Amino acid sequence: MDTTLPQRFLEQSIHSLKQVNHQIFQLNQQPFQQQNTYDQEPTNLQLNRTPIQLKSNHQETTIAAIDTSTIKIGETSTGLIVAIRGATVWKQDRAYRYTRLGPFIFHITEDNKKEVYNTLERAYFTNRYETSHFYAPSLLQMPTRLASLLERWLQTMIAKTVTNGLILLDGSLTSGTIDTPVYRLKEILDLARKNQNIVLAFSKMTMLRINGYLITDQLPSSDPPYLLETSGLRPKPPTVILGDVYVARLGRSSYAFRLDIDKEIQTQKRVEAVEKLVGNDLYNQNYPETLRLSHILCTFTANEVLAMQHFITHKHGIRIINRPDMHRLLFGPFGKGETYA
Amino acid sequence: MKLYKKEGNIIQVLCFPTENAEKGDYLMIEDTEAGKALIAQVIDVQFAAIPGVLEELLRTLPDGGEPIQGEDIDPMEIAPHITYIQDASLLICKIRATFQNELLSPSSSWLPSRSQSLIKKLSIPLLLRLAKVEGKLPIILGGTKDASLLTIDASAIDGTLNIITGKKGCGKSHLSKLLMVSLLGYGAAVVVFDLNGEYSSLGLSADGKRNMYFDKIHALAPSQNFKVAVSQLHLNVIMGILVHALHLPGTSAREFRRIWKQLKEKDNLSLSSLGEAIRNLNCNQHVRDALSSRYHSLVNSGFFTDRPAEATLLEECLLKANDEGGAIIINLKNTSTIDRQIVVEYVLGKLVDSLSSWKLKAAFLFAEEAHLYLRETYWDDIVTRMRHFGLFTTFVTNQPDTIRENIYRQADNIFLFNFTNEHDLDVVSRAARVDAETVRSIARDLPPHHCLTLGRVVHDFPIVARVRTLDLKTMGETRLFFKNMN
Repeated sequence: MDTTLPQRFLEQSIHSLKQVNHQIFQLNQQPFQQQNTYDQEPTNLQLNRTPIQLKSNHQETTIAAIDTSTIKIGETSTGLIVAIRGATVWKQDRAYRYTRLGPFIFHITEDNKKEVYNTLERAYFTNRYETSHFYAPSLLQMPTRLASLLERWLQTMIAKTVTNGLILLDGSLTSGTIDTPVYRLKEILDLARKNQNIVLAFSKMTMLRINGYLITDQLPSSDPPYLLETSGLRPKPPTVILGDVYVARLGRSSYAFRLDIDKEIQTQKRVEAVEKLVGNDLYNQNYPETLRLSHILCTFTANEVLAMQHFITHKHGIRIINRPDMHRLLFGPFGKGETYA
Repeated sequence: MKLYKKEGNIIQVLCFPTENAEKGDYLMIEDTEAGKALIAQVIDVQFAAIPGVLEELLRTLPDGGEPIQGEDIDPMEIAPHITYIQDASLLICKIRATFQNELLSPSSSWLPSRSQSLIKKLSIPLLLRLAKVEGKLPIILGGTKDASLLTIDASAIDGTLNIITGKKGCGKSHLSKLLMVSLLGYGAAVVVFDLNGEYSSLGLSADGKRNMYFDKIHALAPSQNFKVAVSQLHLNVIMGILVHALHLPGTSAREFRRIWKQLKEKDNLSLSSLGEAIRNLNCNQHVRDALSSRYHSLVNSGFFTDRPAEATLLEECLLKANDEGGAIIINLKNTSTIDRQIVVEYVLGKLVDSLSSWKLKAAFLFAEEAHLYLRETYWDDIVTRMRHFGLFTTFVTNQPDTIRENIYRQADNIFLFNFTNEHDLDVVSRAARVDAETVRSIARDLPPHHCLTLGRVVHDFPIVARVRTLDLKTMGETRLFFKNMN
């Protein structure tokens, strides 16, 4: 396994933290919401309300899921201190196993953001593509972009190492966005296919609507599990969707999710893949347990945030201060904090 | 350690895994700017309410319920910091005193700085030195957790009412013997109501040889080597026995008093003449029957004799103990309930006589399971009247609710062993010199032979110590059927 990227993550993390040595920093515990840039209002989107009924297939199949998480630990006078962690979970022989990578703690400033981002981009992806187009995102976007880099690397590693399995991704198969270039997602899908894997991407939230209603709210009265097929989805260039979009209702619960399946896979194989998923994984509110666990395992708890604050205080001599929340200061009980501003 | 919260006289201290503090330990919270320090005792250790711990524990459990197996690649080594935070504990401490200008005062009215205060463990020897728990008559009770000795001063037991309590088999009698022989060593006069015959052989060491206390211990077994000549009895003592131990009604008591005086005047006071006089008494049949039944109880006890040579002069024993120091062990092991009450009534009557006439300067009374032989009115007598006469009692019991609440309220020292029963802890916590939280929290977790010492002997700084062993033939061991079978 090529571990260049995690190594670079570690190097950049330590390097960036050295720059913040003996500074004062302001505590903050706000998780970054990953921006959903994929779901743009499409034209001609249609939903076939005739369900593709699924039969649970218990044939032993490896199911793997990947997720990453990022959190802001605090602010310094020059930038942000953020932590990033990724988790892969796989179900094999009826048991769930996981690998967690991180947390990596970064001190990101206007001065070092370009170096940090480009070093990490180059670490894994350069040898195949031109680097001239690399640029650094804005300071506020950096945490999610770094997390995205780690997530794509983990997806690549899973696509390379798992065979004849199902790879569950968090989100959609939309590419051509700033943090997911087409070639990068294409490479992951190609690698997965090469190892007889099928990629299934589940979106917890979707903005896709037909006649003003969310596609996940227009469920027929048929018995689950089933898939509903969509057609006519044409995102605005340069966005490209590398999968076909379905609505999946996998259990008796009333929730349904947008499911993107690799376009290159034959329709029959797609259905078989979802049937294997239904037969091999557990479901919580119709959401695959493997994917749920990967999310849970990478998410930072308040305890971990405290531990990371303790780490940077002790290891890097950063003095923690609590700067007053201006909302609370100005508006008293009416100021709910920056998060609710 | 960091100061977290103060509410009343309870202080909460955040303690990290590298800092070890347990229930019973003392902390010094020093505010250098204020120039004073709080001395607080840990009464409970809890997990600190760290946010996110529940999520941390929950996420390792999938729906199946078994822990999820996995690998954590943690290149920055954050995991030890997570554990460090997760294992942080909260010490609930009771403020015992303020230390300022080399003096201790029982104040908790000031607030030390949360950010600047320095918190450190206070060793027991240092605490004892600060509290001036020292004296010329040291009694080593045992060893504390930090390997130091808990030494109290015998004078702190002088003039006091003490209670030794704890559940069965945790070492109460052992401590009672330790205190008793220590007092004996300092020449005190001690009387023991020995319910189980455990104290009689304290003059021998564990290997059966005579020890330094051998000549000072006088074991008296009622109706065996402890008999009383009727002719030497005082009227008030025999009346006390009849009224309080044998519940003789008032009218009959008056008749008895008359008979006694008549026989005394004729110099014909004996068991047989007393029996004869009651038989020939010309009075109401009920009165005669009442006197007759009490007379037979006295005769059947075997405690009374008409032969002065056979009698033991308790007063002489007491005077000897007063002069040279000595313990009079009243062995009540093979004595029936009624006889026990007769004997106790007699001994207490004699003690009060000797003390009130100043023949006896003062005496220490050790009473095991006193509810089994002490009459109702004596409880109040012991803590009030007799105390002023110079009788200082130590009650030893495994049933704390058999001792009246007013006894607890007036107790000067309490030696508390393990109790798990809430009701028992509630009873003990009524003692005036102790707070209920300390009793409930610390006593519940005391290991066997460990004692929480409260009160005057430790200057109101409750201290836990393991009671030291004694090289004495104690005989307090429970007889077991299966002892040599395993």
